Amino acid sequence: MIEAIELTKQFSEFTAVDKLSFHVNHGEIYGLLGPNGSGKSTTMRMLLGLLKPTMGTARINGFDVQTHIVEAKRSMGYVPEEPVLPERLTGWEYINYVSDIWRVPRGSERDEEIDELLTLLDIKDASDDLIETYSKGMARKISLVAALIHSPKILILDELQAGIDPRGAATIKEILAGLSDRGNTILMSTHVLEIAERICDRIGIINKGSMIAEGTMDELRLKAKGQQSLEDIFLDLTGGPDMQRIADFLGE
Amino acid sequence: MLEDLLILIKHDLGGILRVRNVKGMRSERRSAFRRLFRYVAAAIFAVIVLWGIIFMVQLLGWSFFQTAIIAGIDFGATIFNFLVIISFMGSIAVSVATVANTSKMEYLMCMPISLRTLFLEKTIVVVFYNSLIYLIIGIPIVIGLAISSPVPFALLSIPVFIVMLLGNVTLGVALGGLIGLTISRFLAGRRRLKQIGWFLGTSLAIVISTFYYYSLYAADSGFSQFFSIILDFAKQIGLSSDFSPGGAMNAVTVRLIVGLPVNPVDILLAFLFVLVSIMLIYVNAIASETAHYSGWLASGSKRSSKREVKIAHTSWNPSDIPLLKMTTTTSVSMWYNTASVRREGRVLANYLVGPMRTVLWFLLIFLAPGGTMASFAPFIIISAMIPFAVSYGVYFAGYELVYEGKNLMNLQLAPASLVDYVKGKVFSAVPFTMIATGIASVLVIIVQPSLWIYIPAVFISGIFLTLASGGIASYSAATGGDFKAQRNISRQRGAAVQMPIRSMWAMARAHLIPNMIGFIGIGAILGIGIFLNPLYSYLVVPIFALICIQLMRSYVGKSGRKLQTIEASEYL
Repeated sequence: MIEAIELTKQFSEFTAVDKLSFHVNHGEIYGLLGPNGSGKSTTMRMLLGLLKPTMGTARINGFDVQTHIVEAKRSMGYVPEEPVLPERLTGWEYINYVSDIWRVPRGSERDEEIDELLTLLDIKDASDDLIETYSKGMARKISLVAALIHSPKILILDELQAGIDPRGAATIKEILAGLSDRGNTILMSTHVLEIAERICDRIGIINKGSMIAEGTMDELRLKAKGQQSLEDIFLDLTGGPDMQRIADFLGE
Repeated sequence: MLEDLLILIKHDLGGILRVRNVKGMRSERRSAFRRLFRYVAAAIFAVIVLWGIIFMVQLLGWSFFQTAIIAGIDFGATIFNFLVIISFMGSIAVSVATVANTSKMEYLMCMPISLRTLFLEKTIVVVFYNSLIYLIIGIPIVIGLAISSPVPFALLSIPVFIVMLLGNVTLGVALGGLIGLTISRFLAGRRRLKQIGWFLGTSLAIVISTFYYYSLYAADSGFSQFFSIILDFAKQIGLSSDFSPGGAMNAVTVRLIVGLPVNPVDILLAFLFVLVSIMLIYVNAIASETAHYSGWLASGSKRSSKREVKIAHTSWNPSDIPLLKMTTTTSVSMWYNTASVRREGRVLANYLVGPMRTVLWFLLIFLAPGGTMASFAPFIIISAMIPFAVSYGVYFAGYELVYEGKNLMNLQLAPASLVDYVKGKVFSAVPFTMIATGIASVLVIIVQPSLWIYIPAVFISGIFLTLASGGIASYSAATGGDFKAQRNISRQRGAAVQMPIRSMWAMARAHLIPNMIGFIGIGAILGIGIFLNPLYSYLVVPIFALICIQLMRSYVGKSGRKLQTIEASEYL
C-alpha cells in the first residue's frame, strides 16, 4: 500500500507539491495525472525516498520512507520518466547488476526470468548491446524489466508509455493489468489519458502541486458534470488551450 | 553495506574496464588493438621499468642505489605529497558534481541501498581513477627495488606502498570532496554569491594546497614560514617525516627498502593517515547524502526570490570585439561559451586556476633549490604563463566543444558554419589568457623590473599561443571527444575524474603539441632577446603569431568539418 499524507515539497519559496494526500490500495492501479510541472514526478520521488519532503509523510507498505528508507525500497520497483542508465553496460549486464543488488538468487531460474521478461517486452535481441545504443523506448523497456525482475509488490511508473511503440504499449498495459489482478499495487503517471482511463482503478488529478480531483472514472464524471471522457474532465479541471492565442499565432 | 558496495564497484568497473567486444550487433566493434592497447601498454611499461631497475642494480650494485636513495631520502616524501595535492586539487568539485547530478543515478537510488553507500562507491571509483596511473608507475619501481634489496623485510614495502598510496589518494580525494561540499553548504540558495563563492573557494583551495606543498618541499625557503607551526610540531614529536601524508608514506616504504630504521612514531602516523583517509571518505559519503536531501545544491533557477521579479527578456545581440571582424556565428559562439562557463563558478575556477598544477612543477624544479636559481625566477614566471595560455585554449575550445553534447544536433541542423562556431570557442579563451598574462607581467616587473622590455612580446605571444592551442584542442575534441560526457558523472564539467576527450592520442596532442610550440616559440623569443638584443625578440613575435594563426585556421577548419559529419549516435 502507498500512502501520501500531506506531502509537501518546497524549493525555497516555490512550492512544488502542496499538502498532497492520497493512498493506493493493494491490487489497485492509481493514475496520477496533471499538466507539465504540476508536481507528479516530485511526488513520486518523495514516495521513493529520492527527495525528502519539506512536510508530510510518505509510507510504503507501512514503512515511513524517511525513517526506514531501505525497507521501503525493498518492496518497490520504479521506472523513471527519463531513465538514465549505465551506458557502458549491455542490457543483460544491467539487469544482472540490478538483480544482484536486489539479491535475486543467481542461477538458471534467474536467467530464465530475465529472458522471459526481455522476450515479453520485445527487447531480447538488443540485450547484448550496450545501453548507449538504445532508443528511448528501449531504455524504458529495459527499465521496466529492471523494475520487475525482483517481483516487487509495488510499482511506481513515471510516464512509462512515452516513446514506446504501440505493440510495446499494449504489452505493458496487459502486464500492468495482470500484475494488478495478482495483488500488486501500481502508481503511474501518464499523459496518455486513454490508457489511464482504461486501466486505472482510481485517478488523481493534480495541478500546481495540489490534488484537484480524485476518484474512479465514474466519480470524476459526476464531479465534472456532463463530461464523458477523461480528456474532457482533465481539460475542464486544469484549463484547456487558449484558443485566442492559437488563432493569433496562426494568423501571423 | 559492504556487500552492496562490492556489487556496485564490480559492475561499475566492469563496464569501464571491458576488454572484449559486446556480442550485440548494434554496438560498435572495436579492434583488438584499440581494446587492448591501454592494458598492453601499461603491462609493457611495468615490465620495462621492473627489468630496467633490476638490470641497473645488477650493473651498478645495490650499494650504489642504497647510497643514492639514502642521500635523497626526503625526495620520496616530495613525490608522495605531490600525489596527495594533485588528488586533492582535482577532487574539489567531485562530490558536489556527483550530488548535483543525482538525477542521473535514479536507477541506482531507487534500489534498496542507502544513498551514503552509493556516494561512497562513487568516491571509491574516483580514488581508483586517481590512483591508477600512480600504481602503474609506482608498483614496478617498488617491486624492482624491493627484489633487488638485500634488506630482510624489503618485500614488505610492496603491500605497504600499495596501501599507503591508496590511502593517500583517498585522503586527497575525500578532503577535496568535503571542502567542495562545505562551500556548497555555506552558499546554499544564494544565487550570485554561490558562483562567486565557488570560484573563490575553489581557487583558494588550489592556491593554498599548492603553497603548502611548496613549503614542504622548500623547507628552507621563505614559503615555509606560512606552515612553520606544523613543521616544527612534526620535528618536536620526533618524526622522521614532516608530518605530511607523503612524509609518512616515505618513512614506511622507502626507508624499509634501503634498510634505514623505521621510527615507531612514523608507523603510527602512517597508520593514522590511512585510518583518517577511511574515516574521511565515509564522512564524505555521509555529507553527500545530507547535501542531497538538504538541497544545498539546488540550482538557482529552482529557487524563487523573496522579491517579486518581473520577467522581461531583452534581445540578445552579441557584438564584435573592437577592431576584430567576425561572423555572427563566431560572435554568438564566443559569447555563449563565455557565459556558459562563467555560470558555474567551480568550473570557471577549475579552468582558470587549474593550470597551476602544471606550473607547480616549474616552481619545484627551478625555484625550490633556493638562492642559486633565484636569478631565473622572472623567466620561470614568464614560462609559467605557457601552460596557462595552452590550458585555456584546451579547456575553452576543446573540452567545451565536447560538452556541447546533444546541442551538436542543433548546430548541425543550423544554417551556420561549424568552422565559425569552433572559431568562436577558440576566441572565447583569449580574454582569460590576457588577464593571466597581465597578472604575470606585474609579478615579473616586481621581481625584476629590467625585464619589462619582454613583457609586451610575451603578452602578445600568449594570446596567439592560446589561439593555436584552442585550434589543436578543438580538433582533438572533434576526433576523440566523448560527446556523451556531460551525462557521465565522472566525465562531466567540473567533475574531471576522467577527461571529456576519450582518445589518448587526441588528449596527448591537445596538451603536448601546444606546450611544445609555446616553450620553443616563447623560449626563442626570450633567448634571442637575452643573447642578441631585446629588440630582436619583437622580430620573432610576428613569425610566431603567423605560425599560431596558421595552426589555428588549419585545425579549426578540420575540426568544423569533422563535427559536421559526426553521426547522431555519437552524442544522443
